[in-house]
Amino acid sequence: MVAEGALAAGCHFFAGYPITPASEIYEVMMRELPGWGGLALSAPDEISSLCYCVGASLRGLKAMTATSGPGWALMIETVQYALMSETPVVIALVQRLGPSTGGATQGAQGDIFLAKFCTSGGYTIPVFAPSNAAECYELTRQAFNWSERLRTPVVLLSDKEVGMTTETIDEAALAKPANVERTWGHAGASVAAYDVERVEDVPCFGPAGGEVKVTVTGSAHDRQGRLRKPSPEVVELLAHLQRKIEAHAADMAMVRADLDPDASCLLVSYGITARAARQAVGMLRKQGFPISFLQIQTLFPVPTEALHRAAAGIRTVFVAEENLTGQYRSVLAPLLNGRRLLGINKIGSMISPTEIVLAIRRAGGTIPRGDWPGEHPPEADIHEPPRPRKAGV
Amino acid sequence: MENTTYLAADAKFPYCRGCGHALVVRQLSRALEGLALPPRSIVLTTDIGCVGLADSLFPYLHTVHTTHGRSTAMAIGMALAEAVLPASGLKPIVMIGDGGAMIGLLHLVHAAQLNVDITVLVHNNFLFGMTGGQHSAFTPLDWSTSTTPEGNRVPPLDLLALLRAAHACFLARQFATDGDLNAVIAEAIAYPGFSLVEILEICTGYGGLKDKSKGAALREVAESQGYSIGRTEAERPRPTFVQLYRSEIESKAVPLLTKEGSQPHGREESRPATLQHAVSANSRSEIHDSKPLHIVIAGTAGERVQSSAALLCRAALSAGLYATQKNDNPVTQGSGFSLSEVCLSAKPIEYTGLESADAVIAVSQDGWNELKANGTLAALAPGTLLIIDSEIEIDSPTGRLFRQPFRRDATPKRAALAAIGCWLGNEPAVPDAAWDSVLDSLSSERRADVSEALRIGSNFARQGGTRAA
Repeated sequence: MVAEGALAAGCHFFAGYPITPASEIYEVMMRELPGWGGLALSAPDEISSLCYCVGASLRGLKAMTATSGPGWALMIETVQYALMSETPVVIALVQRLGPSTGGATQGAQGDIFLAKFCTSGGYTIPVFAPSNAAECYELTRQAFNWSERLRTPVVLLSDKEVGMTTETIDEAALAKPANVERTWGHAGASVAAYDVERVEDVPCFGPAGGEVKVTVTGSAHDRQGRLRKPSPEVVELLAHLQRKIEAHAADMAMVRADLDPDASCLLVSYGITARAARQAVGMLRKQGFPISFLQIQTLFPVPTEALHRAAAGIRTVFVAEENLTGQYRSVLAPLLNGRRLLGINKIGSMISPTEIVLAIRRAGGTIPRGDWPGEHPPEADIHEPPRPRKAGV
Repeated sequence: MENTTYLAADAKFPYCRGCGHALVVRQLSRALEGLALPPRSIVLTTDIGCVGLADSLFPYLHTVHTTHGRSTAMAIGMALAEAVLPASGLKPIVMIGDGGAMIGLLHLVHAAQLNVDITVLVHNNFLFGMTGGQHSAFTPLDWSTSTTPEGNRVPPLDLLALLRAAHACFLARQFATDGDLNAVIAEAIAYPGFSLVEILEICTGYGGLKDKSKGAALREVAESQGYSIGRTEAERPRPTFVQLYRSEIESKAVPLLTKEGSQPHGREESRPATLQHAVSANSRSEIHDSKPLHIVIAGTAGERVQSSAALLCRAALSAGLYATQKNDNPVTQGSGFSLSEVCLSAKPIEYTGLESADAVIAVSQDGWNELKANGTLAALAPGTLLIIDSEIEIDSPTGRLFRQPFRRDATPKRAALAAIGCWLGNEPAVPDAAWDSVLDSLSSERRADVSEALRIGSNFARQGGTRAA
């Protein structure tokens, strides 16, 4: 459904390299894209895949590649180039168990930091996290839209369990956001590759090969795209790369909130774990415990308003995610001052609804508001070893 | 003016005195003048290093200044876009050094294989100049550099020989000092396909730093490595990848983009191509008001375990149910076990994992062994239905055991479906009518195959055979 979303978004260029669990996107694009008048081809490595996409995007085509953690590691150089050169491109990152080769056929949510903090300077790249096949379709379209609108690389962060599970889709109910195109400069415009009026504006795009001379660079540059050592203009353009994302953070924010006004406890999750979390919330409510739930689809920029709304009146926030160290929890921590913040974490297999319920109850997270005992366990992490599974490559 | 001038009239060259890069820049400009190409039909793609400073000297060309070694790869992407866009004749020209050629070697190889219409000018001065004269993969034997103070012991790469093996069609080697370098560059640019000119230079800053006599004698360096000068033997001309691709999709009458940035019509309205198994519910399952059912089907790779599970899911869809299917297999896909976890539910399925299976089907020893190894059997609740082929050696499973010779009676490739049919005879989750639309979508041969397997299975179910383990 990532491939379907890409086709619907108007993707015309795909370059891929095989890697479990992202190979199905590659195969579908190779099969389907020619029929849409687009080009899909095999690159000799992931570095080439993304470079080819960037090259095609420089000519005005909507472009995408798909990979998993090991391939993403190779692409980061070019992700930074796309960020610096303001070249739209979408990368579908289907996570698997790491580090290194890790487990090819095991899901994981361990690439949150790798996606967010892959740039020197810590610039924000929009990251969207679908939890099921229908969201893969919708969020891929959103990924293209924001990539084009803001002239930025965008990461669609799913995982093996989302990407390789076959499941029912209600086709009629699929969300179909309208396509957004990048803003093209007009013929006769002056030669101004990175000219913006305000620091948060997005410069008009001119294609390489068009009538207006284009100057593209991954080096620190002035408004004309000329390589320059840091000057106030150069520094302002560096800040612009971050400001243009932040200025649209509220518009980019996508969450699915299921809030209970009586709850003192909020469960936050994303991607595959959000499904178990939603089920766990249903179980807890049936057991008589009020609890609020927030599924975050736009991981970055962090949807702070939605988070604050969900956390209003909340004393304990749980973040359930399939990694060892609570990567997204640590991102949310500074935004949740004064609240108890606990992680529900596990690697090796999906976190189950029962495990979430037990972790929350064990931590006393479901005690009604105004009825708190004096002390709480320090954390809610799951420490049971995962079920044994055969390792992949 | 813009149409005839390539090099800025007042260009101040950023290169060291005597550097070959300046000669190449002037010769490139002369080549473009000779070809009289419109400046906007060129995109100069520059690499990292001193060579990458050239883009500022050509104010009328499109310029893309890239990362180290990737100039070729981005140029490939720009050239490939021509397969989809209206023909523009845009020519990417790559300016790259020997360091860039080394780190980006695979891009050069793939460009040659694809035969994309780009021209690569490799400025080979045998070392890294900008960073202080470190040796590269192109540094001649015995050369002293800042990183080979005792002399280089690694034989240099013959780039043209390597690219010849990658099926490059246009390869040439020249000295930067050659008076006719512009003619060779022009020939390369005019060539309709991948072309590469390796231009030999001496880095005046660092070339042969500790042995000036070696550094200065460029021709001797070339001779000592057996390098021939001029066009070298290459593959016979062949169509570019873009030409092949365009002719292929044009033969299928696929609508191409009519202008940059435009989209073909009908995309939004079309049904997603991967929804090949779209169905509308035509019957109603009996599990509509009960809990989701989790079934694990395990067998041997190549015996249609996963495709049989997929058929079950499709039948479930016809019955108005939601379904998820997760597959597992060993590292290699064609040997060992093959396993599918299926969840059927009247409501949308959130958690797709398996806390405890409601039914377990094993149709081969491989499958059974995996169910033991992955913890499925250990997690079963007492009384779980186990449908196991008679040939499988089992040891003390918990649950209701149902053993029949699926492999013997239905053949190994139909055993999984037969066992599914048997399960449905015990647990009527999917009514028979729901299979009709699934069977209708199959080829007649496969339809007969599936029907027969299901029939065998349902007969077994009627015979009974359940016993407590």
